[in-house]
Parts: sequence; C-alpha cells; structure tokens
Amino acid sequence: MIRLVRRDRASRRMAVAAPLLALFAAILSNLILFVAMGKDPGAVFYALLLEPFMTWSGFSEVLLKTAPLLLIAQGLAIGFRAKVFNIGAEGQFILGAIFASAIPVYFPQATGGWIWPAMLVMGAIGGALWAVVPAFWRVRLNANEILVTLMMSLIAVQLLNYLLLGPWKDPMGFNFPQSVMFQYDAMIPILFPGTRVNVSLLLAFLAALLAWIYMQRSFGCYQFLVGGLAPKAATYAGFSQSRAIWLSLLIGGFAAGLAGAAEVAGPIGQLQRSISTGYGYAAIIVAYLGGLHPLGIVASSFLMAALYIGGDNAMVSADLPVAAVRVFQGSLLVFYLAAITFVRFRLVRTGGAPA
Amino acid sequence: MIARRTFLQTSAFAAIAAAISARGASAAEPLGIALVLPSPLGDVGWSHTLALGLDPIKAAYGDAVTFTILENIAEGPDADRIMNKAVADGNKVLIAGSFGYQNGAMQIAKRDPSVTVLHASGFMVAPNFSPFAAKYFQGTYLLGMAAAAVSKTGKLGSVSAFAIPELITSVNAFTLGAQAVNPAVEVSVVWVNTWFDPAKEQEAAKALIAQGCDVIFSNAQDTPSVIAACEEAGVHAFNLNSSMKKYAPTKYLGCVATDWSPFFKASVDAHVAGSFVGANAFLGVADKVVAVVDWSSDIPAEVMTRITEAEAKIADGSFNPFTGPITKADDSEGVAAGVALADADIIAMDWHVKGVTTPLPQ
Repeated sequence: MIRLVRRDRASRRMAVAAPLLALFAAILSNLILFVAMGKDPGAVFYALLLEPFMTWSGFSEVLLKTAPLLLIAQGLAIGFRAKVFNIGAEGQFILGAIFASAIPVYFPQATGGWIWPAMLVMGAIGGALWAVVPAFWRVRLNANEILVTLMMSLIAVQLLNYLLLGPWKDPMGFNFPQSVMFQYDAMIPILFPGTRVNVSLLLAFLAALLAWIYMQRSFGCYQFLVGGLAPKAATYAGFSQSRAIWLSLLIGGFAAGLAGAAEVAGPIGQLQRSISTGYGYAAIIVAYLGGLHPLGIVASSFLMAALYIGGDNAMVSADLPVAAVRVFQGSLLVFYLAAITFVRFRLVRTGGAPA
Repeated sequence: MIARRTFLQTSAFAAIAAAISARGASAAEPLGIALVLPSPLGDVGWSHTLALGLDPIKAAYGDAVTFTILENIAEGPDADRIMNKAVADGNKVLIAGSFGYQNGAMQIAKRDPSVTVLHASGFMVAPNFSPFAAKYFQGTYLLGMAAAAVSKTGKLGSVSAFAIPELITSVNAFTLGAQAVNPAVEVSVVWVNTWFDPAKEQEAAKALIAQGCDVIFSNAQDTPSVIAACEEAGVHAFNLNSSMKKYAPTKYLGCVATDWSPFFKASVDAHVAGSFVGANAFLGVADKVVAVVDWSSDIPAEVMTRITEAEAKIADGSFNPFTGPITKADDSEGVAAGVALADADIIAMDWHVKGVTTPLPQ
C-alpha cells in the first residue's frame, strides 16, 4: 500500500522540481501520441516549446497574451485568497470591452490623447459594475458568488450580441455583428514598435506590484483575509466580513474590465463577438498555477501565454491538428496539478495490510 | 526501463536538432499555400468544401506546392497572429476562409506585396487581395421552386447564420423561386448569429417545423444539424456547400454545392505567373463554382422540367433571379419591372423580398 502523507512543511525542492517533472511527463506522454499520429515529434516540440522564444516577433506575441492573463489573474487571486470565488471574470472582461468601446462608437471622429486612457478607465468601471451585482447578492442575500458571477458572464455575452446586432453595429459593415473600426486615438500606444505589445503590459506589471505590496505588507490585507477565511473570527475581532467580499469582487471586476478594454483598444481595434478567447476562465487556472502569489502569477501567466502561442505555432508550422494541441496543453496542466501535490504531501509505503 | 527512457529522450532531442537544422537549409522552395478555416474540418460543410478546392492544385503542381490547413481558428487577434505566422513561415498564398479575418488578412496583404490573399465573403480589394463569394442565390432560386412544389402547408423556413448580404440574397432568391411555383408561399427565417453551433441550429429548425414550415433551408450551417433534425421530423430540407444527403436519406431535397477549385486554381496559376490582380470574385453557375446536386425524386416531374430550364438559362446568363418587378418586404419597390439587378447591388443587398415574413434584424 502507498499512502499520501502530509509533509510537516512544504518541500522547496519539490516546488522547484514540480513544473519540470510536469513538463517532462507531458512531453513523454505526448511524444507517444505524436508518433502514433505520424507527426515528426522533433518539429512539433520545437514549435510548441522553443519557437515562441526564438524570434522577437514570436516572443512579443507571448508578451501580448501575457498582459490580459496577468491582469485578470492578479485581480482574481486577491479574492481567491480570501475564499471569495469570482468565476465570472469573463463577463467582467466583456463589460470592460463594452464600456471602453462606448467612446469610439459614439464619438468616432473624436481625436486627442485623452481617448485611450478614458477608455481604460471606462472599461475598469464597467468590469467593476458587473461585479457589484454578485457582491450585493452575496452580502445581502447570501447568494453563492460562484453561481452568480458565472451566470452574469452568460448575460454579458448576450448583452454584447445585442449591441453588435443592434445599436452598435457598424452601419457600413454589411450587417456583420461588429462595431466600427476604432480611430487612431482610441488605440493604446504600442510599447515596442513593430509588435502588437501595448502599454497594457505595463499596467499588468503595475497591478502585480500593487498586489504584492498589498498582500505582503498591509494590515488591511490581514483583516481582509480573515474576513474571507474565518468570518466568525473576523466578526469577533471587529473586522468586516462583507468588506472582504465587496473588495474581492470589485478588484476582480476592475482588473478584468481593464483587460477587456485593453483588448478592444489594443490588438482588436473594434468591438466584435470574439473579443475573448476565454481569458476570464484561463486566468483562474493562471491564478492557481501561480499559487495565488503575486510573483508566482507573473511566472504562470507568462508560461500560459507561451503555451498558447506554442500551440498556435504547432498548428501552423508542424501541421498538428488543433485537438492534439489542446491535448498537450491539457495534459501539461494535469501533470502539473498532480506534481504540486507532492510539494505538500509525500508518498509513504505502508506494510501492505489493507487499512 | 531506464535504457528505453534514455533512448526516447535522446531520439526526441535528436529530432529537435534535426528540425532546427532543416530550417536553416532550404534550397528549392515549394510554393506554400495556407488555408485558414473558421470551423473544424469536418466531412461536410463550408470548411470541408474550401479544403477540397485545393485538390486540383495538388494534382497539377505535385511537390512544387505545400499546404498548411489551419482549422477551427476563432476570428480575432488569434487569427491575425496565426495568419502572420503562416506568412512568416514562407507561405505565399493565404486563403482566409471567413469574413472576420478581413482586417488581419488585409494588413498582411498591404505589408507584403509578394503574398497573394484570397478572402471569403468580404468587400475589401487590393492589388494582391481578392474577396470571393459564391452566387448561392442562383442555386437557392431553383431549390425554392422545388420547395414550393413539395410543400403542403405553403410555409417554408430557413435557419440562417448571419444577416449578411450573401445569406440575405440566398433567402430572397429562395423565396422568389418558390413564388414562381406557388405565389402564396411564406418564408420564415431564424438568424442564429453563429457559423457553428449545432445545438442552437437544431433548436431553430425544430421551432420552424413547429410553426408549420415543411421545407427547411439550412443557410450556411457547417454541420448536418438542421438536415438531420428535418429528417427526424419528416420534413424536406436542403443546404449549401456540400451534400448532406447521407444525413437525410429520405427527405433530402438537394444541395447548392460549391466547388472553389476553379477559382483557387486560377488564382494560384496567376500568382505563379506573376499576373495576379486582386478583384471582387463573385462566382456562380457559369463559373462552375455553384451547382445544384442530389435532386430529390419527390419533386413532381413537370416542376423538375421547369427547374432544368431555369437552370440552363441561369448558366448561359439569359436569366437573373433578381429581375423586376420585385417588391420589398415593406411593400416598397425593390427592383423595377424588366430590370435585372447588377452584381454590385446583389453583393450589397440589405432588404428582404415580399413573402419573407420575418423582419431583418436591424
């Protein structure tokens, strides 16, 4: 018999080895898959794992994809640490995109350097407003925020569809459900010329820094954590429980809304149906992969982005079908989750007698 | 055990090394053709038809061309990156298989004049950028005639993807064809606002059937969702792009099939010869891009004769389904008596003909 036994303290050696073990296991198991499919595994792994880092243009795309993941995951992690589970970042992201788009949709001729910052502010407000509903219901009616945030995302998608099929449709767009293309001043400035990486990457790192300072250094954060983790203890100590819920959801919504605004005012340049490829959900994985730690999330968002770009590369360059790409990405996550178990647990061989 | 693991590791690294060195040394470059598709590459439907259109190029050029087929690529920033990557990898002909790829594909065309871009269903043109679309309306007119002949209720339905001109015209011509056989027919449309959502499409078909529609036009669905639902409910159905007869063996009315190979082949030939000039390619029966196949045996013989006559006239250009007098759904004049609508007006059509009872989404 082999049993899992909790370690007295988390193993640092395992913490470092876990991602490497996961990567190795994923490569090994998928190697078999790729060979069985008749693909050249060397070309596939080159495209998946190395190519995103081999050229500046490829690497810049990794950075572009890192920005929204990092931003949303930092916002979510604050709540997750206080056990407030905002699963609706996708909807808050969409509302952010909608609020930001209101400016170029209603003022398509407007010019000036104020437009894109105003759009980001609008987007953050939109995302936070979308989180007000679940926060209010949780605090006042004790409605489960997991369900409410998730359902609010479905409503957000319908709202987006309504706007794009109706009032915000591009009058010259042949009835396609998309807004006008945004004017130059409604686009976020590019950070590195020749790439699509824009200023929102800096905002994402700023968010990481603020989250780190907040999590590590403040008494407010301590009150906040207790409020979420142990509501009764918090009440005893005079800390507010509802404060933790409000702050968690509003910060999460704010960050996701900002990311949504940066996406439409960045690489997309218009409001359309497919503004998100599931960033709001992917960020949940990113937050947990990063151990809910602000610095861990910087690393995990970067890795996740590289994995996405590598997957695209494998489709284009190595002729890998999209399903096989998903299998690789999925197996890497599964192996990682299995591996990190051993940071806190260890295997113990017991006598063999059934317990 | 350890030996095998080491072997696998070593061979993987050897393969990676080989792949890297292969990238460095490339002598006689074959022409790379990349096809980007919005939905999974299934056995039927839009994406399937586009991919089939490459076959004659394969046959003609052999090893002198390579194909990169990218399926299920969502419209948006990811599609832009994937197209950029395909071009950066050396592909010189890019076929962007969905309207939503337009902006990204146009940026590529402007940046690199040596790349030829063919773009589905769009309206932008550049010297190295051709939008292409099928004159589905030529085929749906004929199937409208058949639908009116087999319908008992006089109510026809259509599950349609997006209210864009290409699909509005196909519904309009379907209605006009039906009215040519039975002037009293009514056509209801459900716009599902998706290219690929089988469950939603099937629900829409069932709703139309529940309202009494007994012929359903599956307008630009990429799966047999609607066709299969109709077979189950016992009503006739037809679709665009590729035949789905095997999903409705008894109730299949026919298929407005598209064959892109003449256009793809001509474009690649022109690219190789250096004579490619971007232009709006609006292609129909006469171009051998559109053809109706798998006609149902349920269509009465006399109507079938009329259909065959109309088909011949459309093919030789002597008949245009959009010939006036045509009244719009709001009772205003659509096309004046004796006037045949020009391609440019058909491409931009944003109104329904009288007889379509569902208002267009505004």
